[in-house]
Amino acid sequence: MNTKDNSGDVRLSGISKTYDNGFTAVQPLDLTVPQGSFFALLGASGCGKTTTLRMIAGLEEPSSGTVFLGDQEVGHLPPYKRPVNTVFQSYALFPHLDIFENVAFGLRRRGIKSVKQQVVDMLDLVQLGEQARKKPHQLSGGQQQRVAVARALINHPKVLLLDEPLGALDLKLRRQMQLELKRIQTEVGITFIHVTHDQEEAMTMADTVAVMNAGRVEQLGSPADLYENPNTTFVANFLGTSNLIEAEVDSKSGDEIILKAGGGKLVLPEARCSAPTTTGGKVLVGVRPEKITLTHADDAGEIPAGRNRITGKIADSSFIGVSTQYVIDSPVCPEFEVYAQNIDRDSRLRPGADVVLHWNPAHTFGLDAAQDIDAGVDLEEEAA
Amino acid sequence: MSTLTEAPPPLAPNAPEEKPPRKKRGRWTPYWLLLPGILWLIVFFALPMIYQGSTSIQTGSLEDGYKVTWHFATYWDALSEYWPQFLRSVFYAAAATILCLLLGYPLAYLIAFRAGRWRNLIMILVIAPFFTSFLIRTLAWKTILADSGPVVGALNTLHVLDVTNWLGWTSGDRVLATPLAVVCGLTYNFLPFMVLPLYTSLERIDGRLHEAAGDLYAKPFTTFRKVTFPLSMPGVVSGTLLTFIPAAGDYVNAELLGSTDTRMIGNVIQTQFLRILDYPTAAALSFILMAAILAMVTIYIRKSGTEDLV
Amino acid sequence: MAVVRWFKRHLVVIAGMITLGYLLLPNVIVTVFSFNKPKGRFNYEWQQFSLDAWKQPCGVADMCGSLSISLQIAVWATIGATLLGTMIAFALVRYRFRARGAINSLIFLPMAMPEVVMAASLLTLFLNMGAQLGFYTILIAHIMFCLSFVVTAVKARVMSMDPRLEEAARDLYAGPVQTFVRVTLPIAAPGIAAGALLSFALSFDDFIITNFNAGSTVTFPMFVWGSAQRGTPVQINVIGTAMFLVAVLLVLFSMAITNRRNKVKA
Repeated sequence: MNTKDNSGDVRLSGISKTYDNGFTAVQPLDLTVPQGSFFALLGASGCGKTTTLRMIAGLEEPSSGTVFLGDQEVGHLPPYKRPVNTVFQSYALFPHLDIFENVAFGLRRRGIKSVKQQVVDMLDLVQLGEQARKKPHQLSGGQQQRVAVARALINHPKVLLLDEPLGALDLKLRRQMQLELKRIQTEVGITFIHVTHDQEEAMTMADTVAVMNAGRVEQLGSPADLYENPNTTFVANFLGTSNLIEAEVDSKSGDEIILKAGGGKLVLPEARCSAPTTTGGKVLVGVRPEKITLTHADDAGEIPAGRNRITGKIADSSFIGVSTQYVIDSPVCPEFEVYAQNIDRDSRLRPGADVVLHWNPAHTFGLDAAQDIDAGVDLEEEAA
Repeated sequence: MSTLTEAPPPLAPNAPEEKPPRKKRGRWTPYWLLLPGILWLIVFFALPMIYQGSTSIQTGSLEDGYKVTWHFATYWDALSEYWPQFLRSVFYAAAATILCLLLGYPLAYLIAFRAGRWRNLIMILVIAPFFTSFLIRTLAWKTILADSGPVVGALNTLHVLDVTNWLGWTSGDRVLATPLAVVCGLTYNFLPFMVLPLYTSLERIDGRLHEAAGDLYAKPFTTFRKVTFPLSMPGVVSGTLLTFIPAAGDYVNAELLGSTDTRMIGNVIQTQFLRILDYPTAAALSFILMAAILAMVTIYIRKSGTEDLV
Repeated sequence: MAVVRWFKRHLVVIAGMITLGYLLLPNVIVTVFSFNKPKGRFNYEWQQFSLDAWKQPCGVADMCGSLSISLQIAVWATIGATLLGTMIAFALVRYRFRARGAINSLIFLPMAMPEVVMAASLLTLFLNMGAQLGFYTILIAHIMFCLSFVVTAVKARVMSMDPRLEEAARDLYAGPVQTFVRVTLPIAAPGIAAGALLSFALSFDDFIITNFNAGSTVTFPMFVWGSAQRGTPVQINVIGTAMFLVAVLLVLFSMAITNRRNKVKA
């Protein structure tokens, strides 16, 4: 199975979708998902991720472009002729059939007579052997979800499409199913394309994540890459939290850019800046809240040299167990977020205290200042 | 696991040339689906209305045949002769509708919120009488309201009949052959059409709303007035329509339980059509009834603000 | 005080039960009087207990013949209305097309029209066309007024159906025909069954429209109507009681089966 064959590659070429009412859900899109990978399409609701998935499944006809599976063009095929199966949002289990018949459905439609052994094996894989003769409504949400996966996988699709498969589950079960799906994917080794609005889910499960916004892929890469090195404000804000500071390019020295922000100076590695930098031009400087160290203003002298620094005043702090989250009011950014691990808590760090924020310049990233600084903020809550 | 790691069974070979013309075929499908049924309704429902309109302005006789002479005077004549029956129909139907609402609401409420495990049984008991022909059941009221029966006896002893006599609903020691009997029959016949829509809309109400109202200092009756009843309005509207419309056109109850003094417009239309064979007058009356009902229904639906009923 | 409080708490239940009694009283009378032995031609007053009518349910001339005509009409009207109505319901829910509003009104109007108006206008059509009144004119009329009820019942069911179920079927290698037969139809079945049942009941029990368009054909309700003038045989009560019992038993039986099946599976 792991011999290098590309029959499970999914290649989208110039695919786009404009509805009759003129709304363009997906802008022309080129994308290749390699065989055997776990690929996530991440974005808020209405960003075009589900439409993209449905075009791969054949449930939606592209307005332009086409879909390749390996070397075969499948863009014109109806869904029932594509070697692709889908795990639908809220599962779409057939309510009038029992679990066994739900799982056997695809095999039977393809005229396979002896389905029993395959269905039994499949139900064992998803640990539902006991439930074969129950109706879908008699199962819990997590069990229904596993039936939906089994019903799709039993057909040995080249690609499995998952449309918000965990959206209806509660948090704890969702964590458990994330691991479960990952295990199944490793076991069967086929390509999974997973649509979700939950950035944590996408990062936990997928090898590669494509962040979509307004019908376009904003950025594509491994979860760590996307998180550490966002290219746009949307990605920076949608994936986790980012502190963005507007700064002016002062000078360059070697592979580092020196920036002016407020009264102070900040250092940004040139390799981590996705924006053009000309002296005097504007750049958005970003840093993740957990990279920052918080020091009380009285101890400012103890901060090692060579770190980026910003001064401010604690506006709010909330204790959440593993860490404490601070909101800092600073002249360069009114709501600077800092997450501090609860190792040695400094009792002076209370709202109203003057503090210095400092971090390793290597953790700074630079973005084009011509974008909306708040793009992607709070979208996740709306989508959920 | 062996089943999964084996090579997948071959799928239907997909030759690129067999592009299914999905879109083109789909465009005409709705029209084919609609055609037979809609044609049926046009020919046997809409077209007859036009024929009826044309009949109502014809003159002539059975022997010589009828011709369209645009004789609108038929309408005037029919109205001036039969306005009492029209008014009576509206009054009886309105009385029956109000009674149905008053009687039906507690029953619907009972089924929706208080019946517990008896819910299915009560539902069956509400629907099951349908299976006995309504004519037989209406005839049973002749027995129930018989002059020497226990009902009339009890009403007499309690002096209820004195009151209803004074109101003109009954006369003498009788209930049969009076307006009260006709309204009673109409109420009985159309009660299920009130109870079922009421139940459907009550059943949709989240029981927690009652608790929330109680939590927010509403007494039980206030909860009903401010929460339950407004939320059941769709059921009230469709229930009253389903009761009023057939009751206004009914002639069975007036014929079986009433007398010549309780004749409704349905009786007149039926007699004109089937016995006297005065087709223009009958058609004109029927046309007026239709127009009146449609007008009332439209105003009612607009007023109650539930246009999505249709 | 305790009595008053109990009464207040259960006021709704008491009122509801009174209404239920009002609804069921005539059926009790019909049943009791099916065991009567009336003196004259009319069966309105209790005389003495007798099983005569139950022993000879068809002992009255023409009654069982009219019953058979009613049943035939009801079966054909149910088949016709269910077929045409289901097709319309699917078209309305699943497709976009012109004149949607007009078609919706055409379906709503028969339900908002007094029966006597439909009956009279249909009669003028048949008279103008010179049609022979009888079995077929009754059937035409019954299909017409049952149609709207089927459309309403099926439409509600199809509308509440998750469109993803059909997509799932297509995704799982079911072509359009297979999808319809294996998924759409079974899921829409309760709505179609409800529409069919309603059609049967409406057609079987219809009097007003039938009365206008029957010619010399006599259905069971028309037989009862005629007997109200000529004299009511006890056998009418026997038929009424038997149909009530059959209906209740059928429902209880099917409920028992569903209960049992659920218990076995759970």
